[in-house]
Amino acid sequence: MKLFCGRSARSTDPDHSNVRPAMAAIMAGHPAYRDTKHMRIVFLVVFLAAAIYYTYVAFIDLNFLTRTGRPGPGFFPRSIGILGILFILWTLIVDMRDNDREQTDPARWRDVVLLMALCLSYAVMLRLFGGFIATVIFLAITLMILNRGRLRQNAMVAILIPGGVYLLFDRVLNANMPPALFDLPI
Amino acid sequence: MDIFSDLMMGLSVAITPINILYLLVGAFVGMIVGVIPGFGPSAGLAILLPVTFGMDPIAAIMMLSAIYYGAMYGGTITSILLNTPGESATVASTFDGFPLAKKGRAGPALVMQAAASFVGGTVGVILITILAPMFSQVSRSFGPPEYFLLAVMGMLTLLVMIGANWRLGVISALIGFALGTVGVDLETGQSRYTFGSAELIGGIYFIPIAIGLFGLGELFYAFYTGLHKSGSGGIVQYDKEERFWPTAHDWMSTRWTMVRGSILGFIVGVIPGAGATIASLMAYSTERSMSKHPEKFGTGEMAGLVAPETANNAASSGAMIPLLTLGIPGSASTAVLLAAFLLWGLRPGPLFMEQNPEFAWGLIASMYLGNMALLAISIFAIPLFVLMIKVPYRVLGPSVVVVCALGTFSVNASFVETYIMFGAGIVGFFMRLYGFSPAALVLALVLGPLAEEALRQTMAISRGSFGIFIERTPSLWIIGVTIALVVLLPLMNRFGKTSPGEAEKSGS
Repeated sequence: MKLFCGRSARSTDPDHSNVRPAMAAIMAGHPAYRDTKHMRIVFLVVFLAAAIYYTYVAFIDLNFLTRTGRPGPGFFPRSIGILGILFILWTLIVDMRDNDREQTDPARWRDVVLLMALCLSYAVMLRLFGGFIATVIFLAITLMILNRGRLRQNAMVAILIPGGVYLLFDRVLNANMPPALFDLPI
Repeated sequence: MDIFSDLMMGLSVAITPINILYLLVGAFVGMIVGVIPGFGPSAGLAILLPVTFGMDPIAAIMMLSAIYYGAMYGGTITSILLNTPGESATVASTFDGFPLAKKGRAGPALVMQAAASFVGGTVGVILITILAPMFSQVSRSFGPPEYFLLAVMGMLTLLVMIGANWRLGVISALIGFALGTVGVDLETGQSRYTFGSAELIGGIYFIPIAIGLFGLGELFYAFYTGLHKSGSGGIVQYDKEERFWPTAHDWMSTRWTMVRGSILGFIVGVIPGAGATIASLMAYSTERSMSKHPEKFGTGEMAGLVAPETANNAASSGAMIPLLTLGIPGSASTAVLLAAFLLWGLRPGPLFMEQNPEFAWGLIASMYLGNMALLAISIFAIPLFVLMIKVPYRVLGPSVVVVCALGTFSVNASFVETYIMFGAGIVGFFMRLYGFSPAALVLALVLGPLAEEALRQTMAISRGSFGIFIERTPSLWIIGVTIALVVLLPLMNRFGKTSPGEAEKSGS
């Protein structure tokens, strides 16, 4: 049973196995909880599909040996691909046979998915508005959501961090900052 | 005398105002990286590697190395004050560090961990100074078969240490190997898995994957565990004025613990794939089994804090030996360091110390200075790091995303690499969540092309016969050591009743 229990996530118990049994039983029975084992199987199936495609390309496009009989460009990929398929299948079979259901609170996903979505938006904004503006927008929105009610602190971080990073990368280190596709009129 | 004169030459290279400044910055940043829970030295190195691009190579490598071993110092502060290891190599330090703090001995525990880290780090550097030239000499007899076997040894040791999830570790490593095959095959010129993309002709670049997996992936995982919601209320307060310094008994009772921890840690650190986490756990178990009062371990015994602290710092020094003399990284952190060397056009290996004496000895000399600086920083700047611990993760997290993204872009001014970094971050999160090993993936990504090249050269030499691996004496030695490690390491872990799975959590 692996559940989240407040500050214990920050302790030395990364798997949260020290959650109180009574609370764990109540939470595990809740219909909102999902079976993470199933999700790992889905993850493995995605890897299996990728491994099959990788191996297919290794067999179709890449030669196992060179004309002189030495290992060719397909030697390593074919070996890796076949081993990958075998290991993923083995793990899938073991996981499917295993009845130990590990459940987790969907609420834990909310902030992660939100942060992932914000990160992907940031990736797009970097291309459109360039490093500095995109970073200000990203930090302002993200902190507004994650760090609610602290307007002044959020505004300071949203300005000071991009400013500091710009000074460090662009001025001190002379490194590349993402250029803007569209310049905002500010 | 040769070693002494080489070291003096190294000191003359390292001691310049700008190098010392970067060394201090690296040591300080390393401690911050160590203090932040969820971030290990691999993440810190990967994220900050692009920052060093505008620097002089020696200053850059000195700074990155200081980040690497500085993280070992910083990780213990949270272990003692918050019962939360800043990174996996300091897990064992929570066992007695936090009970010591709860007993009102946080000050002595913090000072003793700094002293133990200093002793471990310094003994480690002394052993590097003596042994690295010898290793370099021995490795000159190595050819492609030995390099292939060393790569196999590094991977196998890491996978053995992963423990129960070893199948997932193998899959992670195979993904890394597969990513390493992307690009033009240097022997035949044939494109592999480039799908017509010009960006992929040179292969999948290591840095975005490392930053994504260790930086962003760990950040997502920290959000998943709710780290951003937690406050800093659990920090044990310590008295800066009274009872801050350790007693004479603390020093005397742990003097041999420091010696044992340093030597054990260094030996484990030299083994590719084992790393600082395993070293610290082994040192703790060894100390407990040798103690006259093993029942006191876990209740606030100073030796229980000192042993893992000396070991993890000595191990981080020991891991530099295979990196410098063989060009084989034994962990994800040293893999990032190897990437840094390669970016600067330096190829670690048997001839590295001979061909780049200023660089190699400058780095070794800087580690002596770095450990001294870290001793001072970790004692006198404790209040500053306690303040850092109090910065809410929900504020720190988005700032880390910014550094990851802009750092990745700055390497090659490539948006594709920035997108790869974000993709690797999401994949890294799921890998971490479902028990896969991002460390094995990164190590395989670095070792894969080296192993493939060595294997193909070996097959060319032997005309396709695998018998070459048992015909050469150095190969036989490596095979023997690999078998011994694969058999002994799990037994040693069982003996110590420690969790081998900790090894892959940071890949330190």
